Amino acid sequence: MNGFGIVKGLFVTIKHFFTTYWVDLFHGKKNKTRAARRGMVDSAGLFTVQYPEEIIIPSEEFRVIPFLIYEVGENGVRKYRCTSCGICAKVCPTQCIYITRKKDEVTGKPILSPEEFYIDTDKCMNCGSCAEFCPFDAIKMDHDFEIATYERGETHIYSKEKLGKPLEYYAKIRPVNYASEEAVRHEKASVH
Amino acid sequence: MTVNGINIPNASIPPDLQHQVAVTTLDKIYNWSRSNSLWPMMFGLACCAIEMICTAASRYDLSRFGMEVMRPSPRQADVMIVSGTVTKKMIPQIVRLYNQMAEPKYVIAMGACASGGGPFKEGYNVVPGVDKFIPVDVYIAGCPPTPQSLLHGLITLQKKIEKEHIPTTRWYKKEDVVEIPIPVLGPDLFDPRKSELISLETHKPILVEEPVTESGDAA
Repeated sequence: MNGFGIVKGLFVTIKHFFTTYWVDLFHGKKNKTRAARRGMVDSAGLFTVQYPEEIIIPSEEFRVIPFLIYEVGENGVRKYRCTSCGICAKVCPTQCIYITRKKDEVTGKPILSPEEFYIDTDKCMNCGSCAEFCPFDAIKMDHDFEIATYERGETHIYSKEKLGKPLEYYAKIRPVNYASEEAVRHEKASVH
Repeated sequence: MTVNGINIPNASIPPDLQHQVAVTTLDKIYNWSRSNSLWPMMFGLACCAIEMICTAASRYDLSRFGMEVMRPSPRQADVMIVSGTVTKKMIPQIVRLYNQMAEPKYVIAMGACASGGGPFKEGYNVVPGVDKFIPVDVYIAGCPPTPQSLLHGLITLQKKIEKEHIPTTRWYKKEDVVEIPIPVLGPDLFDPRKSELISLETHKPILVEEPVTESGDAA
């Protein structure tokens, strides 16, 4: 029959249109895993991720710019895990990390803490070598990709304050890695 | 944009005309329509281009923001997405394309390479940042930025356009817009015309200076 092919094609479109509502009804609008399932083989309905409204939660090993882990001490002082050993700066393939070590003001002896810590995000290629090699689990790769700016002179060189993120944030974005690292820490602490 | 977004604040609309009349400025309505029909130019330079293609495809779908048509001609494009490493060989063409674009025109530097050279910053053949030659409006960090990251960059650009003011924009001023001079690739360290001479010099045996005796004769 002439024109049957067109009707068949239109039927596919309208089927997708209605299954979108049907599937989203069951998942609910607030279900955050729905975005990642869009367009997968076993899911039906709308293909497109509605980006600003629904965001695909990145998988655990997703890497953007590194960040420094700190623990909040007394009076809200940031206690960075970094000891400024400089291994990350040495292994960085693009040499985008710059560290200077803190010194005691009276004696002039070095303290195991960074005075300055800069990462040039214009050079960083998100390889994750720094996080891989850090012996103190002090530097980790971030998940926050919404970092577009209007200017690159000052905003693209991240200072220690901008890079610092609390330990809870790390536990939130990488729960499996965090749990395994904490287990190793407890084991070491019990041995000594 | 919602009704409250397009209305100017403190507009006194009679209650029986609410939701039927919008009081706005020319700037707002003009920028609103402009920012929702940004047409990107279709060209890619390196690996970031793959992410840009992915953004244009159905899973992320640029057309939801009115950017559905990637224009292959600079005359019809509004925004240039510099996606990837800008080499010295490529920069004359990019500048030429930028000059050929009709105003208003915007540039997005996508990824670390386009914004600042990236891992190849000190490379002999790489331009450390496309903003050395053309004005860049939005920089997107990442290597490469994911499609969602690029969409965030495009939304950032839309926000910038919505804040623009017609009398102060550079393309409505009376003076002519000066074209950016097209850069010329300078002489290289290695001149291929002299390659034979260079190889001769390179493979020349090293002369060992013979010790000279007191009488002046060679030993």
